[in-house]
Amino acid sequence: MSAPSAEKVKVVKQLARPEIVFAAARRKGTSLLYFGGSDFRVHAVDLGRDRPEARELGAHSSYVTGLAVAGGSLVSGGYDGRLNWWDLSSGSQIRSLEAHAKWIRRIAASPDGRLIASVADDMVCRLWDAETGALRSELRGHEEMTPHHFPSMLYACAFSEDGQHLATGDKVGRVNLWSVEDGCSVARLETPTFYTWDPVQRRHSIGGIRALAFSPDGSRLAIGGIGQIGNIDHLDSKPRIEVFDWRAGRRIGEAQGEGRGMVEHLVFHPRGEWLMGAGGYSDGLLLFCESDGTKALAQAKMPMYVHDMVLNDDLSGAVAVGHHKIAAVNWSA
Amino acid sequence: MAATRPSSFCGSSDHTIDRRGFLGTIAAGASAFAADMTALEVLKTPAVAADLKNKGKRVILLWLAGGSSQLETWDPKPGAPTGGPFRSIPTSVPSVRISELMPRMAARMDRTCIIRSLNTKIGDHGGGARLMMQGRRDDPSVRYPDMGAVLAHELGRADSRVPDYVTFYSATEGRGMAPGTPGFLGERYAPMSLTTETVPANLRKLDTIEDIDHQQRAELRDLLSRRFERDRSLSGALGSHNVAYERVRGLMASESLFDIRREPQAVRDRYGPTQFGEQALVARRLIEAGVPFVRVARAWWDSHGQNFETHQEMVPELDHVMAILLDDLAERGLLQDTLVITLAEFGRTPEINPSLGRDHFASAWSATLSGAGVKGGAVYGKTDANGRSVVDGQVGPAELFATIYQALGIDHEKQYMVGSRPVPLTDAGTEPVTAVLA
Amino acid sequence: MRIRGKAIAIVGIMLGASNPASMGGELLPADRPIAEAVDYYVDEAIHREGIQPAPTADDTTMIRRLTLDLAGRIPTNAEAQDFVGSSDSGKIVALVDRLLNSPGYVRHQTAELDELLMAGRRDHLRDYLTRSVSVNRPWDRIFRELMLPDESETLGKMAASYLKPQIKDADRLTADVSSTFFGVNISCAQCHDHPLVEDWKQDHFYGMKAFFERTTLLGKSKDGFLAERGFGTSRFKTTEGVERPARMMFLSGRKATEPEATRDATEEEKKLDKARFEKSQKDKAPPAPPRFSARAKLVELSLSPEDRGFFARAIVNRIWARLFGRGLVMPMDQMHSANPPSHPELLDWLARDTIAHGYDLKRLIRGMVLSHAYARESRWSGKGEPPRPSLFAVAALRPMTLEQLAASLRIATTDPSTLPDDQKSAELDRRIETIVQQGSPIAEALRSAGDGQIGVAEALLFSNGKRMDEDLLSDRDGRLLGRMLKLSSPDEQVTIAVRNIFGREPDPDERTALRKYLGLRTDRPAEACRQVVWALLTSPEFRFNH
Repeated sequence: MSAPSAEKVKVVKQLARPEIVFAAARRKGTSLLYFGGSDFRVHAVDLGRDRPEARELGAHSSYVTGLAVAGGSLVSGGYDGRLNWWDLSSGSQIRSLEAHAKWIRRIAASPDGRLIASVADDMVCRLWDAETGALRSELRGHEEMTPHHFPSMLYACAFSEDGQHLATGDKVGRVNLWSVEDGCSVARLETPTFYTWDPVQRRHSIGGIRALAFSPDGSRLAIGGIGQIGNIDHLDSKPRIEVFDWRAGRRIGEAQGEGRGMVEHLVFHPRGEWLMGAGGYSDGLLLFCESDGTKALAQAKMPMYVHDMVLNDDLSGAVAVGHHKIAAVNWSA
Repeated sequence: MAATRPSSFCGSSDHTIDRRGFLGTIAAGASAFAADMTALEVLKTPAVAADLKNKGKRVILLWLAGGSSQLETWDPKPGAPTGGPFRSIPTSVPSVRISELMPRMAARMDRTCIIRSLNTKIGDHGGGARLMMQGRRDDPSVRYPDMGAVLAHELGRADSRVPDYVTFYSATEGRGMAPGTPGFLGERYAPMSLTTETVPANLRKLDTIEDIDHQQRAELRDLLSRRFERDRSLSGALGSHNVAYERVRGLMASESLFDIRREPQAVRDRYGPTQFGEQALVARRLIEAGVPFVRVARAWWDSHGQNFETHQEMVPELDHVMAILLDDLAERGLLQDTLVITLAEFGRTPEINPSLGRDHFASAWSATLSGAGVKGGAVYGKTDANGRSVVDGQVGPAELFATIYQALGIDHEKQYMVGSRPVPLTDAGTEPVTAVLA
Repeated sequence: MRIRGKAIAIVGIMLGASNPASMGGELLPADRPIAEAVDYYVDEAIHREGIQPAPTADDTTMIRRLTLDLAGRIPTNAEAQDFVGSSDSGKIVALVDRLLNSPGYVRHQTAELDELLMAGRRDHLRDYLTRSVSVNRPWDRIFRELMLPDESETLGKMAASYLKPQIKDADRLTADVSSTFFGVNISCAQCHDHPLVEDWKQDHFYGMKAFFERTTLLGKSKDGFLAERGFGTSRFKTTEGVERPARMMFLSGRKATEPEATRDATEEEKKLDKARFEKSQKDKAPPAPPRFSARAKLVELSLSPEDRGFFARAIVNRIWARLFGRGLVMPMDQMHSANPPSHPELLDWLARDTIAHGYDLKRLIRGMVLSHAYARESRWSGKGEPPRPSLFAVAALRPMTLEQLAASLRIATTDPSTLPDDQKSAELDRRIETIVQQGSPIAEALRSAGDGQIGVAEALLFSNGKRMDEDLLSDRDGRLLGRMLKLSSPDEQVTIAVRNIFGREPDPDERTALRKYLGLRTDRPAEACRQVVWALLTSPEFRFNH
């Protein structure tokens, strides 16, 4: 297997943004990037141009934290609990749904583009018909409160490549795996290292599962976040990835990056060459691991804390979005 | 009265009565007034009747250690680039909005006043904590007492059978930054400090001694110490030593106050199962029994990383505990005499850093006062649209402390003598924020 | 207290110990014994006030006071009896010299210096201090070794425990060094109220800070090394927002003038520093010092004949305060002309003497405790109100430090018959040090209950603390209570308890009261004895050095 070395990761384009960018999506085969963030807005920008200029599609009434392209639509989700559909050709809003009672943390489109999954702090994952916006199912399996009497949070979700399974991960480190077809729970994993709580030293919790990704063959699940935190005020722990054989309920690998940081996004190389986590601390980071998670291979700095990322179609690099910045990186030169 | 008393500053005999002396006289069986007080003389003695108005006044300080964010609590800026993701909600007071994380307090806004314009300048934990506990900067030549010690001294009784100044500080974060400091008031006003324990250390008699012997050996000690005190001044450490032992039995009797199992389950359920809630309940029990000052420190607000996750977890807890505490005090008829303060060493930056945190910020932040002596529903001061600076009604630590003292019926210009130096409760020229005083 | 900018400069000149006459009037000749100079100046001030000072304390009090001050513990009753019974006219001098050469002196002086230098910070300077005190290392050399520790050898590694934990916070270190070694708290200049304070703060504070700013820590504090750049200047912003270079400048106003101290580093010089540091990290060895060391410059300036007055007066004042209950200048970190000493000539004389005798602290302490001023009673039975403390006409009542208390509690509760008979033997010293060592859990308990402050936390600890009960009131063999319970008569029990704890005979009233207490508890004699011991241990006569 081969992962790019840290030196190979080059920033090829940067776009400063006034807002913090939390979510990104790209329509396959184009250089058109959709992004949303702390200014509550959804924008589109063509990164193929020399001087890319962002165009606003519309707005939520709070942070925009999830974007997915499904069929001919872009779907956005935000802390206002709403899911908005935008027409990709005209850019106009198609519909807006009150999807969750609390913050939507992430949305994902099924590989065939027919379903949208949304996870929110109401601790429910909802599956929506990407075409009609109809609610297809509600997946409930995450506790609303942490064991320490505080509201929990449901941060992450991901579809398997074949679209049959969906994983959701929460603050206290629980992962639920669902059969998309019937909405039944098919497995449950516990990853307590991602959740920090210490009744003596830290009477306040932090961490949680921030990123999920299925391996291309669907057998493994990668889970990302931060390790046990020494000083939770400063996110004082290493970026962390665990990989499970989820059917067996067995962890097969764990990898940690250098320095401090959180993994916010995970992606498997389609041919299994690597598994990559992106995130950050005060700077951003890319962490390449063995695809079974047994070893960290390389870690590169990013020009900003990365909240979300879209891989280039040819796997030569990616477009990352994050703290006041959009950055295109390349690692295959 | 204690042995030697210095002459008062201007030498007039009008000044020879002080409040404690007076209360000490009318209190049946009053024991000798704290000996270490001989170094201190109230210079400006207000009329006794006026001064009696603070009788029965109490304070609970909810100390948000690490520095809670004003933007996620009392001074939200929804929609501003610095505003963060939380919305604001209307409150029971028209035109006043607070963070959506505090629905319970929003419904009780008429009991609370907010000062949104603190500019306190010191942005490190230690310096900020000392500043906001003392109401002024350190001065190398005077050891200032903190708020708890001053209020224990002003509101408590010298012969008190209960502690005067109790502080709960269970977190390790910042515990050493602003320990209760009696300063020049002397160790008599040092706090009874609870950290890992729920009941103060060494309050319970050991089984190895019978109660009668425990009492009588103390009397024997007292007898031995009298011999030693002959021809020696009781001011200073010798007086403190004796007063400390005199108070032991009384303090031991207060042990049950710390035991929340003595509260009905329904009351405990209201406060909730969190440590902060339980300590607030103990604070109410202490206040009810006459303890003049209790600080409950709730730490881990220092959200340099993941500010919003932190506040989403902790502000609802504050909202719950504070609201229940105010309700409970009101139902018991205690709220009109009890001032509940929320305060920290500073607030947090409007700028959101790369790890979605907010950093230390002392230039424009908020505190609240509820209950005794304050105008519920009042909002004082204003910050700019992004919360970066105070644009109206700037309040410094001295003004805040003067306001607190006035709310409790204490003259903020009152002076103590430290040696030959008069030290006012707040620096000369300080004006309280009258707009929030009832 | 606010300090005028100009005033500080004046103090600097005035302090030149080589020119003490600038105070006006000649000082006593330099060849007089310390005690004589102390008494001369202290008595002079007392007489000016027309007061009769308190009489000299009795032998029982003196041996207790001296043993506490010099060896950090109370004397055993046998030591006390031996001293009281001696008719030797030189017995005080003999006692002082014996104590100053005992292991107790090393322990106690180490604890006192540790408290002065580390102020409760629990780092590991004690090893260095113990070694230094045991060879009576001069104070200027200690200062030099703390400022310039050679981490390539053992002692230097230990000495580095002073700078290492503080080096990251240069502001605090600057304030700490200025206050500890020079008696000047420059952090107070952060007051913005006084117009003259501003320029003092800016130049002096940053001037002092500049001596430390080139120092950094390579690696983590425990395993890392101190490293000093040889070049580079820093800048600071005045309150008006103007940027100015921070020039290395001592408190007197004297600046480092070397080119390496005053100009910015060239690229070449930066590389030299970098190479030196990288070599250190590669070799895992402390870096060689730079050709010009800012810290060495601070040591040089502050110990120079022109400016060493700050250093000498500060330590004299601190030692004086320890032995007499308050400094000649109070507060001790406010030594400036707006805050004059109670006895200016005495402070000058002692500073001059200390410099002349190589900053020998043991000699200084010896001289002070041999004075009559030190030996007065702490009671005031004279007419009228007691004289003000700064006259030193009556001895101060001093609370024992936490370490003195813990050691003394152990001595007081040791069965006296288990101690060697020879009161001047090395065997006794060894036994006593063992007993004191066993007091460390008590010291810990005291530390956690109010840090040795005289307050209710301590009273509660003594009243209800399990540790105190089980340790101090143990009736095991070898402990006081164990011995008392073997005695048959209540009178003997009372006598041995008072002797062991107070170091004196019980007076008739006490004897009656204590016997009565025991007499009312004949059904539980062991408990009664425990309670008597408790009442004695918790009484102020035990708690204070009087």
